[in-house]
Formats: sequence, structure tokens, C-alpha cells
Amino acid sequence: MRIFETANYNFISKRNVGYIISGTLIALSILGIIFKGGLQYGIDFKGGKEFVIEFKSDVVVGDIRSALTETFKSQPEVKNYGSNNTVLIRTDVDQDVNTLKTAINQTLSTKFPDNPGSIEKTDNVTARFSEDLKWSALQAIVASIFTIFFYILIRFRNWRFSAGAVLALMHDVVITLGLFTILNDILPFSLTIDQTIIAAFLTIVGYSLNDTVVVFDRIRENATVHKSMEYSAMINRSINDTLSRTVITSGTTLFVVAVLFIFGGEVLKGFSFALIMGILIGTYSSIFVASSVVVDLAKNKTNHAKS
Amino acid sequence: MKGLGNKLFLVIAFLAIAGYYLQFSVRYWLEERHIATLETEAKETYLRENNEKLESLKDNIVNLGLDLQGGMHVTLELEALSLVKNLATEGTDSTLVSSLASAQSQTITSDVDVVDLFVDAFEAKDANARLSRYFRNDADNITRRSTNDEIRQWLKLQRDNAVTRAIEIIRTRVDRFGVNEPSIVKQGANRVVVELAGISDEERVRNLLKGTARLEFRLTADQEDLRTSLERVIASFDKEINTQEGDSTVTSKENKFLEVFAPQGQSVIFGSAAGPDTAKVNAMINTSEVKKLLPRDVQLLWTAKPAFNGDNGIPYFQLIGVRERVELTGEVIEEARPTFDQFNNSPEVSMAMNKEGARKWGRITGANIGKPIAIVLDNYVYTYPNVQNKISDGRSSITGLSSIKEAEDLVNILLSGALPAPLTIVEERTVGPTLGQQSIEAGYYSVLLGLFIVAIFMIFYYQKSGAIADLALILNIVFIFGVLAAFKATLTLPGIAGIVLTIGMAVDANVLIFDRIREEMFHGKSLLAAIDAGYSNAMSAIFDSNITTFLTGAILYSFGVGPIKGFAVTLMAGIVCSLFSAIVITRMIIDYLVKDKHSKLSIG
Repeated sequence: MRIFETANYNFISKRNVGYIISGTLIALSILGIIFKGGLQYGIDFKGGKEFVIEFKSDVVVGDIRSALTETFKSQPEVKNYGSNNTVLIRTDVDQDVNTLKTAINQTLSTKFPDNPGSIEKTDNVTARFSEDLKWSALQAIVASIFTIFFYILIRFRNWRFSAGAVLALMHDVVITLGLFTILNDILPFSLTIDQTIIAAFLTIVGYSLNDTVVVFDRIRENATVHKSMEYSAMINRSINDTLSRTVITSGTTLFVVAVLFIFGGEVLKGFSFALIMGILIGTYSSIFVASSVVVDLAKNKTNHAKS
Repeated sequence: MKGLGNKLFLVIAFLAIAGYYLQFSVRYWLEERHIATLETEAKETYLRENNEKLESLKDNIVNLGLDLQGGMHVTLELEALSLVKNLATEGTDSTLVSSLASAQSQTITSDVDVVDLFVDAFEAKDANARLSRYFRNDADNITRRSTNDEIRQWLKLQRDNAVTRAIEIIRTRVDRFGVNEPSIVKQGANRVVVELAGISDEERVRNLLKGTARLEFRLTADQEDLRTSLERVIASFDKEINTQEGDSTVTSKENKFLEVFAPQGQSVIFGSAAGPDTAKVNAMINTSEVKKLLPRDVQLLWTAKPAFNGDNGIPYFQLIGVRERVELTGEVIEEARPTFDQFNNSPEVSMAMNKEGARKWGRITGANIGKPIAIVLDNYVYTYPNVQNKISDGRSSITGLSSIKEAEDLVNILLSGALPAPLTIVEERTVGPTLGQQSIEAGYYSVLLGLFIVAIFMIFYYQKSGAIADLALILNIVFIFGVLAAFKATLTLPGIAGIVLTIGMAVDANVLIFDRIREEMFHGKSLLAAIDAGYSNAMSAIFDSNITTFLTGAILYSFGVGPIKGFAVTLMAGIVCSLFSAIVITRMIIDYLVKDKHSKLSIG
């Protein structure tokens, strides 16, 4: 069996359709982020205190919220965490963790004496520390984009390839960020942005690039093999040549990431969701965006750069 | 074939190395299973007899991260500015205090060294001002003539020394506490990361880590003065609210302070507040207006323990009026031990002072008979007993402790020595053992299932070649764990996610090669020629695409912390291993089958 054996789709000539789709998605993402009042940060980048409490049997989130509002003297965020007997409590109360834990335990045992709960996970991140984390996440993203730009420049000796690759992966990250921001609070699991999500983004960057580089590599090769071919036709040929591989690898990777999403537990939900979205968008952008950008950047040149 | 032999040798050598490193983990795992089946007594004997063996195995196993085995991860930060303030031995003035305050407010958003922030803030106020006005140290040659830059360097050096000393002290405390294999490392200029596995009592650890151990003996406020101040402070928060009700104006009184604070004004107790409200109370009373209303050189400090529990079980803490002047510090303590009070059997720490301390203590107690003296540890009042009579043997005790364990920890802190400056917990993550176990299971099933699905797909799509790629994939996973064990890396949940991801991506190299071989055959090449062409033509794509992913992994590693680093490690290890297994192992098997055995290779 072989899919796309004699693939010959006209990706490049229809690249405007791709641009319109991508442009719309990016615009929607940016609008969504603005509409939601910026990126939805998780505890790592926002600071605060989080407690995961596992109860013996199912609980009503609202009851816990009102019970703890009395104790904290301010309303904490309470939501289910994976299952109906586990909740995540988030608060900004400026208090020692020891005192908070004692207060939570005492409140819960008086209010829900028949349903004992135990604190399974505690996270406490101060504002000072979360600012540092935000800063290093930003550095990591910028550093990876620069590294990729220069690596491709060195390997392919053509800045257009670098530009195409970097634009494609910024495209992927912006749309994934937009999806995250818009879908947070809509889906039954948390899609706030924290450190693991940044790790997922960088993986998407690496992954999407993987696809792009495979196409670029074929362009590099075809440029020497099909010297007489028109530049855009040659690029289109290269995308088709690698189409089978692109789809297969994306497929196997999607399989495993879906496994992680379903079986990886609550901690990895957001992370694997980001990867699923990122792989889908990354595969799309490798086919429709990265090479198209190269073609358009090289438009004015009849004789393309020696690659 | 000679090439084949070399490759086979390489593969076997790598497998042997991976196997060597992994056998420790497997043996340790078997031992653990064996131990779990033993009865309590037999277990103890077994552990004692095999201690050395178990320890040496444990040194070489793949470590599980705290998110998998449960435990505590704490990042502490040395309050460098309070160290700077302490170093200003020549006295402080408003310029210095406001420079410190401005540096403090900048630390939240700035990435710059806090000492630089301070010196820059100081110089920004007056370019000609000299830091040598405040700092003097003969041993380090910091004199009146020292330039600001010399002092800047000296302050940084002092800060570095303080962090080093803090790490030593924390290590002593943690060791005395008895934690298995604690990890204590410096991070950045003034942070310390402490990782403790399998902690059951986090509260104790928290207190243990951040306690500066600055023990102070202080006199208390005059009770009459304190009561007058209390009335004035309450009055200062009185506010009249005029509301329009119909035609008439109704005046009601509001007092924000009394909403969160229950005044007492008896003995040296200023009043009490519920635990969650103490921060609000602090914000209200720590203003210069309120400080003016307090008796001169009196400071209000909270009690370390709740005085009583209110409705709902909310703990209430008391605010005690103590003198700012410190009569005696913990440096005079020569000996400390946990004991029980002989009358009511409550736990306490009994301390003995050195000669000079005992002399001073005698003088202080002698002059204050009938009055309370506060014993303050890290700015919390532990106890404020009334002095019955002059104590001349240098004995004293800290009472008001909730358990003998707390007394033990306090002794530990007191004897480990005082920290050069306070440490604050800037980040803390605790995972319970149950959640860790759930994560291990989730990770385990994800790896197996991911492997299974990908393997089935490869056989379905590439047939015999796919099966060969699957074999390489399984060896690949063995290699990844081998690399993790050899480099003593820590396996975290994101790390497992990295392995799962690698399973999906590892077949990529084979997909590239197989697709290329098919393509070459499609163009009319023979199987043998197509294999050669396929491998050599796919190589540059494999190489470039993996290098770029590896580079993002490396960046993630250098910027990430904790579990994220674990992800980066497995991702990088996965890329290297999968390249090896996809290029070397599958090639070897395919060459063997096609060239030596002349068997037909199905590639789908």
C-alpha cells in the first residue's frame, strides 16, 4: 500500500488560498487573544498558590468554593481536576502555605465530614519567581527562532528558506496560542499557559521545522536534478514528492500524542492538546506556507540562488 | 560483508553498554519487589544486611523525578538586600534606605543582579555619593577611600559567600532531619534549589528551610503605653460615612481595622486576627502614620503559633508589643535540647548559654522581675513568660511548641547556626505519593500503547520492512533508557511524554528512507540499487531535520527548569538513539536480508 504515490497537486499555484486561510486563522487568533484580555497564564507565569485535593467521593465544585471563600476571605478559583472527586484550588491570598493548608484542611473536615479529602499536590509560585520564568520562556522561544533561522541559512545557503521556515513556525505558534486562549474555559480541562506548554510549543517548533526541512531538502535536491524546470513548478514537485512521508510521519506522531492526551493523566492534558494542535497546524504550514513563502520571496529573481 | 560485521559489532557494543547501565535499575526494582513481600522484622534485617548492596545499586538507577515519586521541590532566595543592610555597619540614613527600597521594588520585574540594582539606585540619587560612607571592612580592605565599584564587587562577594554558607547550613539541617539523598544546588546568583523525595511532613521542612534562626531575647512594651497606643490606632481608622436616605443624611461609622482585628490591650497583647487576615493587618499597621502612634522603640510582632481557634477552625494569631532593642541573641546559646515541661508535660526547647551570655541574662532578668520577656525567633514571638526571679545559670527555654517534633526541629535550626540573611521560599511544588504513582502508571501505559499503535501501523504500511523498523524502535527505547541511566538523568512525567513523542517521531527516519526506496523502485531501479539510493538520498533530510529538533531540545534544556529539563533530555536522547537505530540497525538488517540471504524484501 502506498498513499500519494503519484501525487501531483497544485499547491503552489493555489498558494493564495493557503495565505487566506492562514491569514484568517492568525487574525482570529490575535483577535481571540485580545478579546480574552491577553494570554491566559497558568500558575508558572501568573504566580499564586494551587492545591489539588482528592476526595473520597464526588464533590460539587460550588460547595467547596463557597466554603473556602469564607476561610480565605476572598473567592478562590475551584475547578475539577481530571475526575469528579478531585478539585484544583487556586488562590492569590498572601499567606504562608502552612497556614493555608491548615485552614483548608480544617474547613473541609468541618464542612464535609463524611467525605475526607487529602491535598495531593501543592504549587506555590511567587510573583518574583513567575516573572523570571516568563522571562526565560521568552528567551527560549526567541533563541530557538534565531537558532533555526541561522541553521537553515547555513545549511541551505539561502535566506529565503530561513524566512519561510521561521514564518511557518511563527504561524504555527501564534495559531496554537490563539486556540489555547479561545478554548480555555470552554473545554473541560485547563488550557492555561505554563512551563509545560512552552515545552510543547518548542516541540511544535522543532516538529513543524522537521517537516519543513524535509521539503526544503527535496527542493535543494530537485534544484540540481530538474535544472530546466520553472522554480515554482520545481518547488511544487518537491512538496508532492515528500507528501507521502509528511503525512505518514505526522500520522504516527499524532497517534502517540493522542495516546498521551487520553492516557497521560491530567498533568499532561494541556501539553498533549498543544502537541495535537501544533502537529496538525505544523503539517499544514509545511505544505502550504513555508514553501509558498520561498516562492514569493524568489519571485523577482529569474535565476534562483545557488542552492 | 566487512561493513556488516562492523555494524553488528557496533550495535552489540551499544546494546551491551545500555544493558550494563540498565541492569542496576532492573536489579534494584527486583530487590524492591522482594522487600515489599517481607514482614516487618524480616524486612529490617534484610535491609540492614544488604544495605551496602542496595545503596550501590541505588546510585546507578534511573532516578524518578519528584513529580513521579512524590516529594518537595523548593526554591529559596537569599534576601540579598537585607544582607546589604546588615553589612552597612557605619550606620544607615534615608538615602541608603530609599535606595534599598527602590532596588527591592525593581527586583520583581528586573533580571539584573540585585546588588547592581541597589548600587545603581544609590548612584542615581546622587552621582557623587559614596558607598564607603556606610560600608567598612578592614580585613577586605574596604575603607573610607574605597570606590563605589570596589564596594559593588565586595558586596557581590559577600552575597556569594552568604549563599554558599546558606547552602551549607541548609545541608546540615536537612541531614539532621534525615531525608534520603537530598539535592541542594545553587541557582543563579542568590537562589538555592532544594529537592527532597518522599517527604511526608512538608510543614516541618518548610520551617526548617526558611528559618533564619535569628533568636532574640527582647523586653516587652510597657503595658499602659501599649493600651493607649491601641486606642489611638483604632481611632485613626474611624471613618464616618454619610449616606443619603430620603431627605435626611444618615451618618454611620465604619472601621476597616476592626473588621479584621480584634483588639485586646491586656498584658502585652495588642490584639488578635484570623490567620487569613494577618496580611491585611500587616498592611494597615506597617505605615508610618500608625508607627508614629506606637510607643517609641516598640514593634508589633505576631505569635508563631495560633493562640486559639475560632469558628470554622480558623486559627487566630496574637500581635505582641515588644521592644525593638535586642538584649541578647542566639549566638550565646551553647547547648539546646528538646524536652518536656516538668509541670504540664508540653514540649519545649531548653537552652544553655555561654558564660558571657549567662552574665547578661542574669542582669536582664534581674532588672525585669515581674515583667514579660519575649523570646523571638525569626521575627515571630514564641513565648513571652513573666520573669519570676533572676536567672543566673544562663538557662532559658522556648515554650509554646505544638509537638516534640517541632522542638527537635528547632534545636536542629538553632545548632546548625544562623543564616547570614533571611531566605524566602519563592517557589514550591509538592507532589503526594499517590499522584506520583498515578503519573507513573499513566506514563507506562502511554509508552506501551504508543509503541503498539505505531508498530502495528508500520507493519501494515511497510510490511516486512516495517517489522524491521519496529525492531529498531524497540531497541531505540532500550537505548534511551540506557542513556538516561548512564548520564544519571532524572525521569519526569514530561520526560516520559518526550519518550512517547520520540516513538512517534523515531520512525520518521525510516519513513523517509522507505519512501525514498519505493520512489527509486518506482523510477525503475532494482531493489538493491533502490536501497542504496534510498539510504544515501534520504540522509541529508534525516540529518537536517533531526539536528534542528535537537537544537530546540538543547535550548529547552538550557532555559527550562525541573520537569521541563527532563523532557528536553529525553527528547535529545531520543533523537540521537533513533538516528542510530534507524540508520545503522535497519540498514544492517536490510542489507543482511537482501544482499546475503537474497530474500525478497517487501516494502509495501
